[in-house]
Amino acid sequence: MKTRLLVISMMLVVGAAVSGCATSGDLEKVQAQQNLINAKAEQALQDAQAAKAAADAAKLKADDATARADSAEKAAAEREKIADEKAQRADAAFQKSMRK
Amino acid sequence: MRRIAELSLLTNWLCFIALCTVIVSLNGCAAMKNVQEPSHPESEIKRNDFPVARGEDVVGQLAIIKLEEGDTLPDIARHFGLGINAISAVNPGVDVWVPKAGERITLPLSFILPDAPRKGIVINQATMRLFQFKGDSPSLVVSTYPVGVGTEERPTPMGQTRVARKAPRPTWHVPASIAEDHRKKGDILPAEIPPGPENPLGEYALYLSKTGYLIHGTNKPASIGLRATNGCMRLYPENIAMLYKDTPVNTPVLIVNQPYLIGQRDGVLYLEAHTPFEGSGTGELEKINAKLRSIEKQSARTLDWKKVKEVQAEARGIPVPILEMGQGGYKEEVKPIKVEHPDTLYGRPAMPELKLEAWYVLAADVREEIDARRLAAIINHQGPPIPARVLSKSSGYRVVAGPFDDIGAAREATKRLKIDLDIDGIVIEPAKQI
Repeated sequence: MKTRLLVISMMLVVGAAVSGCATSGDLEKVQAQQNLINAKAEQALQDAQAAKAAADAAKLKADDATARADSAEKAAAEREKIADEKAQRADAAFQKSMRK
Repeated sequence: MRRIAELSLLTNWLCFIALCTVIVSLNGCAAMKNVQEPSHPESEIKRNDFPVARGEDVVGQLAIIKLEEGDTLPDIARHFGLGINAISAVNPGVDVWVPKAGERITLPLSFILPDAPRKGIVINQATMRLFQFKGDSPSLVVSTYPVGVGTEERPTPMGQTRVARKAPRPTWHVPASIAEDHRKKGDILPAEIPPGPENPLGEYALYLSKTGYLIHGTNKPASIGLRATNGCMRLYPENIAMLYKDTPVNTPVLIVNQPYLIGQRDGVLYLEAHTPFEGSGTGELEKINAKLRSIEKQSARTLDWKKVKEVQAEARGIPVPILEMGQGGYKEEVKPIKVEHPDTLYGRPAMPELKLEAWYVLAADVREEIDARRLAAIINHQGPPIPARVLSKSSGYRVVAGPFDDIGAAREATKRLKIDLDIDGIVIEPAKQI
């Protein structure tokens, strides 16, 4: 009985040890997975950087457009002011010319 | 049997389509009614003469006109018997000399009568309008004309006076102060100017008992509605002709300054506000507000003071309804009338054709077309008029005055451009000798 129990225990230990050891095939598989994840990570990083660069460029463009719009608005207001002043000057000259 | 069924179906369809057509056309009619109010021929528009009903203070009706290419506000104003001040005030933002074609403007042809006895002639300086009362109530009639009044330096005197004498084709005896003003500008005036185009009194004059002051015509019609005289009151040539005919010697003349006017029509209280002359604004505003408070108390109704302040601040110079006075006796507010653009505007400066053998004066060389058009219009509206037009070139626009028959006329125009508008004109020789 003791012998039988011993044999069974040994068999279990051996079985467990055998199943715990990785084969070279398993290692390769893990490495391949790591490489893939790395590649994916690299890709994600590059994508993120590209997206950031694009966002930065878009922000720059937007800032530029805003600045240009502001400047165009200012120029238009300035033109309008000049036109109004010209009209007022012309009107003042006209009113003066209407005196006896 | 089947054919009868098909026929019945077809009849139903036809009925349905007919019904739809009727509904659509009815809708169409309603829409048209809303959008296309009929335009009235300009001959129907009342400009000067209005009956005054007992207890009423508001006369006339506002009108709306669509501008055409080449119109100027002074031309429109003159055609409809308005001053340039009135038409500009009611249409803020509209270019006086180069308004946009297609733009709709208001003609302020409704007036609140001045707060004064309705007798003889009453001139309200602030509104630059003369009112001549004829007949007695209930058949009282008022004739009203725009006027030009004295400048800030030489204001028109206020108060009661009368017509002392009348003269057609008056001679202008140049006052020493005016001669001195002209001399400073390099313009030596003769002691007197006989009747004719150079005479600033125009064709008729009413001499007032207040010595040195006249109601007269003008050789500068575009100045009506401006503070441009030396204290006299000037009218459009066509208006002074009517006033002269209708005014006997000794007619009382009252000159007032009322920038804020209130009056009733059809049970509605109206307020009309004009930009006050310098120095008179606060006092006049207090006076009118005290009157309004008194009316508010008497009528036991609450005034919309926000609206009152708005009307006073905007100073558009037209009667604006501010309070319904009667109980249920209120008629619908008088709406502006749409008026057709006349084929020709009365008194618009003529533009002679270009002639190769004529002399011209180059008045300006500018980049913007609008500046050129404005200047040409201003030169055209001088008195007597100097014809001027815009010629385009590759890099801008030229304002050219003329044609003139000889070098003398061209030089005279150059002198006037310098004295009156401070323009250094260049005389241009004829392109072709006769």
